[in-house]
Amino acid sequence: MAKYRDFALLYINGQRHEIRGEEAFMMLTVYLRYQRGLTGTKIVCAEGDCGACTVLRVFPMTRVAKTLQFEAINACIITMAQLDGSHLVTIEALASEHSLSAVQEAVVRNHGAQCGFCTPGMVMALTGFFQKDRPELSEQLVKNHLTGNLCRCTGYTSLLTAAQSVDPKQVPLLNPRYLQARALTDTKDVTKIPLHIKTEAHEFLAPVSLKDAVSLRKKNGSLRLISSGTDLGVQVNKGAAIPAALLSLHLIPELYKITSLGGRVRVGARVNLSELRRYCAQKIPEFASFLDIFASPQIKNLATLVGNIANASPIGDTLPFLLVTEGIVHLVGGTKPRDLAMLDLYSGYRQLTLKPREFISHVSFKIPQQQDCLRLYKVSQRKDLDISAVNCAFLFQTTGSDHKAAAKIKTARIAYGGVAANVQRCEEAEAYLLGKTLTEETQGKALELIQAALSPQTDLRGSLAYRRVMIESLFRRYCGELWQRDDRHAAT
Amino acid sequence: MLPLELLRPEPSDPHDSSLPHVKGQSEFIDDRPFLKNELLVGIVYSSHAHAKILSIETDAALAISGVTCVLTYKDLQHNAWGAIFPDQPFLAVHEVNYVGEVLCVLGAENSEALRLGLKAIKVDYEILPAILSIRAAQEAESFIGSARLIERGRVETAFQGAPHTLSGHLTIRGAEHFYLENQSALVYPKESGQYEVHSSTQHPTETQHLVAEALGLQQNDVVCIAKRLGGGFGGKETQAAPFAVYAAMVAKATGRAARLVLSKDDDMIVTGKRNPFELNYRVAFDQDGRILALDIQLFADAGAYADLSTAILERAMAHVDNAYFLPAVRIEGRVCRTHFHSHTAFRGFGGPKGVAAIENIMEEIARRLGRDALDIRKLNCYQGPDRDVTPYGQKLENNLLPELFAKLEDSCAYRRRRLEVEQWNLESQRTLRGLSMTAIKFGISFTTRFLNQGNALINIHRDGSIQVSTGAVEMGQGVNTRIARLVAEQFGLESSRVRLMPTSTEKNANTSPTAASKGTDLNGSAAVLACERIKRRLAALFMQVIELEPEKWPSQTAGLGMMPEIHLDENLDASAVIFASGQVYRKAQPEKAMSFQSLVAEAYFNRVSLSEYAFYKVPLIGFNKLSGQGRAFLYFTQGVACTELELDRCTGHVKVLRTDILMDLGRPVNYELDIGQIRGGFIQGLGWMTSENLFYDQSGRLLSHAPSTYKIPSVHDIPRQFNVELVKNEGNHLNVRGTKAVGEPPLMLCFSVWNAIKNALSYAAPYSEQGLADLPIPATSEQILRALKPLEFAKWERGLNE
Repeated sequence: MAKYRDFALLYINGQRHEIRGEEAFMMLTVYLRYQRGLTGTKIVCAEGDCGACTVLRVFPMTRVAKTLQFEAINACIITMAQLDGSHLVTIEALASEHSLSAVQEAVVRNHGAQCGFCTPGMVMALTGFFQKDRPELSEQLVKNHLTGNLCRCTGYTSLLTAAQSVDPKQVPLLNPRYLQARALTDTKDVTKIPLHIKTEAHEFLAPVSLKDAVSLRKKNGSLRLISSGTDLGVQVNKGAAIPAALLSLHLIPELYKITSLGGRVRVGARVNLSELRRYCAQKIPEFASFLDIFASPQIKNLATLVGNIANASPIGDTLPFLLVTEGIVHLVGGTKPRDLAMLDLYSGYRQLTLKPREFISHVSFKIPQQQDCLRLYKVSQRKDLDISAVNCAFLFQTTGSDHKAAAKIKTARIAYGGVAANVQRCEEAEAYLLGKTLTEETQGKALELIQAALSPQTDLRGSLAYRRVMIESLFRRYCGELWQRDDRHAAT
Repeated sequence: MLPLELLRPEPSDPHDSSLPHVKGQSEFIDDRPFLKNELLVGIVYSSHAHAKILSIETDAALAISGVTCVLTYKDLQHNAWGAIFPDQPFLAVHEVNYVGEVLCVLGAENSEALRLGLKAIKVDYEILPAILSIRAAQEAESFIGSARLIERGRVETAFQGAPHTLSGHLTIRGAEHFYLENQSALVYPKESGQYEVHSSTQHPTETQHLVAEALGLQQNDVVCIAKRLGGGFGGKETQAAPFAVYAAMVAKATGRAARLVLSKDDDMIVTGKRNPFELNYRVAFDQDGRILALDIQLFADAGAYADLSTAILERAMAHVDNAYFLPAVRIEGRVCRTHFHSHTAFRGFGGPKGVAAIENIMEEIARRLGRDALDIRKLNCYQGPDRDVTPYGQKLENNLLPELFAKLEDSCAYRRRRLEVEQWNLESQRTLRGLSMTAIKFGISFTTRFLNQGNALINIHRDGSIQVSTGAVEMGQGVNTRIARLVAEQFGLESSRVRLMPTSTEKNANTSPTAASKGTDLNGSAAVLACERIKRRLAALFMQVIELEPEKWPSQTAGLGMMPEIHLDENLDASAVIFASGQVYRKAQPEKAMSFQSLVAEAYFNRVSLSEYAFYKVPLIGFNKLSGQGRAFLYFTQGVACTELELDRCTGHVKVLRTDILMDLGRPVNYELDIGQIRGGFIQGLGWMTSENLFYDQSGRLLSHAPSTYKIPSVHDIPRQFNVELVKNEGNHLNVRGTKAVGEPPLMLCFSVWNAIKNALSYAAPYSEQGLADLPIPATSEQILRALKPLEFAKWERGLNE
């Protein structure tokens, strides 16, 4: 195995930083604010839900888009070690000595800042928006980009006006200033060397190949595997200790790949949800637009699909989709690599059926075909960036679609989240529906089977009765939509 | 009725912190650089709603390397606080009365030591029964203060002869302020036992006084500074002070600087919210829907301690009328003591509870009579001369409410859209639409008379630039920007020549909190008084200097003392001197002008004071809380809003399609800042009406204590179309520059959202059969779905009970 380096390499506002020792285990916000005096990046919720800590990042290995571009991330829930190889820009670096950036200027001109606490994060998120290749400037796109930024003062209108007053052509890219070729070469070279940071309390290992990752895990079973750690970061901020030994896959290039073969998409463990969305935009538009109301851009630029799977939350928002599209995880680290159907992955609340030392390197799922009717629903108190009370996925195939009412169901896939210890497929209802036409009677019987398969509870996101009613409403909504497939976006 | 004219948008100064805000340079407390020996402060709080404290074990924490001190109530010189009744301990003694009540304070060298230290503190409790609802408090007769009453006319007689009556109940839940900057304090010990306290507080004076009391110091040993707040909304009016006390305790115990910055989770668990209320009402009305009498009882949940709850109740009672005349009325109020965090001020104070009550009643009357609720509102609207006196006996002056209703009804095409909504609801299987127009008439003044005072200090420097210090705290609302403008206008200068200095108790003492929307009124008025005095002196000097040859001016002669000093003639009529565009001149002689800057220099060399301190008290007001009568307010801010929205019949999800707001803010000092306050206040209210759900478990623990679980509006939740306009009103002569306060009133226009939800539900079948009287605030998706599908909910809930 190659020689390890003992520092994480980051460029912050164009300056090179080698991070060693305990600093590697600090959250980025803590490092910026208290080690570097860059206090423009704020801490409010420390859980990635408010956006006050937004900074921009380029990580060269992540590249589905044609060119590298700075993207917004939450600085409060990610440690310095995990950011190894990143180029970052903070609020302090936007204005030049004599003038504000176009976004900053627009926010001032449109009275978009009141108390000022969310403002740096807002400005960073908007700046990230204008880093995209000549964005089309619609209100909806701007809103989608500000999903992860809460403001309690302005009511957002002035910020939207500000954003729309900016001429995208007048916003210079940050790349020439903060992603210089020499720096890029530097991070590319250095990230070919595996990383090992060890302190009295903590250890962080990042191998450069999957093979090395497997053997490290074999040697040390207590190594906790982290993906982007967006959930772990929250737990740490809320009082949990950082696990003593962490294994990160962020230096393994092959895990950043998305490919499709034989009607299936194969997604590496390091593929984040933004890339996945871009990839699926044409192939699976229903999934892509579902990802728009999932989390915030800042989170999606970090969080991975595999992380969402391995987290095993009963309400994981991609899981119903993966269950109805016959998701399969590829496992390594056991006696030999193997594939496991998503259906068999969960064994109880937050429990996976993995063998000791096994971990997920890839996941694949079926691309729905022309004759499939896929619908993904999510019900939460707030539509955007909220944890669901109930989520679900339906994928039916019918025959004789010319005579919709008489069409028979060829295949049925039904999965619900938030209503049992794990996300659930409703296989009895699926079996019952096979070969049936959808009538009031068959829907009613299927619903009985669906309800019987699920066991919702009351919690802060909704009562048991609310969830039961939602289970029915959403199934009925789907049945209604099955006959009106042209009407797919009427709901939104 | 004269048609109102719209106020055209006016050029407005940008917020005076907007440049540092967008550059990330604005300094908040936790942005201050750390001193080398500075300590971090943490708190340990109760995990039970009501319990006896058996023991607090601190040795293990003290043994941790880096933990510097663990302090308890024994380390306090004085352990009781409360703005109205000092009934709350800073640190619990024998008992805890809510989840989140602070037990002890830790000082530590670094965050890891603090984390471990906090975990190592062990508290043993004997759990006691807790009162966790208003009903339980009523049963236990657990009250704070006496019952309050505002009464007018013969209520019972009116009910006896009334053609129609209806009665109902309204549950109003609390809401979290969700200021972005969590509670913070940083205390520097200074020489001779003095302390410099930096606090994210809306009330520096109270914070100063409480720190002094708690530490056993004289008040002149403590200076409290509040440079700016990352939002307050009332949540830092009283409740910032204890955190300053905790940091000060560590500073005193160690002699080192001490910084306390709460996490959002701790902040939400420990600090109080908007008071929940339960309301019962009976209303009598005639065939047209005109109210004949109202009988209403308001019960406020104070939480464990009094805080401001009695004053909040008073304001709620004084706003039950809102925009509507109530000929015979009985308003009773009671504050209940429960075992929740002590609830506190929140934008609108009690106002929203009163407004919610009457706007709901308007909707209910309309439903009963099968009329459009707007007609009922217009019919009942205050309209002189026989129907213009409030239940507490204050006569309305300069009342624009009827005109505001009429103007917005027309400009937002209410009648046409009503027909469209009806049509939509006949046709759409998927969604239901609702439309509602509601009003606000918000009383401006503290109902507690002595709080209606303010002071300001003006220092003009020799280059003619000006520093202003007042008791106003800048928390985003732009009070500093407005005061700068008022001062600049006085001297005929650009606002950029005026700078507002950090609010500090060493410059402005005995100030009132920046609250009740009164920041600009109180502090701006005081600043203008100070300016006027300086102007009188400068004008008198100008009249004499301008008559002299320039070489004889004081600046040319004072050094060598060649000329006698100019004696200012106090009796000289200086009103003819104009300060404009940076120049000073006589009205009659504009060509003989000198620059403001030169005049200031002459004043200095002629030993004329360039500083002034002024005191302002609000005139005319006087409200007797025990009799419930008097002039409670100097004036009223008024407005109307119309909201159209859509409910998803399947999920209960609300989408606000359009909101139109029309307000009377007199002559705004800063048009754009006012519009920003309206939009922000309305959206804050919209969150409370819909998605903000404080969820407590059965033991009284708040489970939704972070943005992952407590959902304030995001950018997607604002109305798809959002129009805000002001009307022209130059008649508010009672207030500085004819302006009107704006901070709180627009929040209460959010009831157009809640009533539009109710209106939408009224088109659905089950509603007309079963009534919708139980829809609470907030109307969450679940509550809405429950109203739409009561039978289905009942089916599953019946299953639960069997």
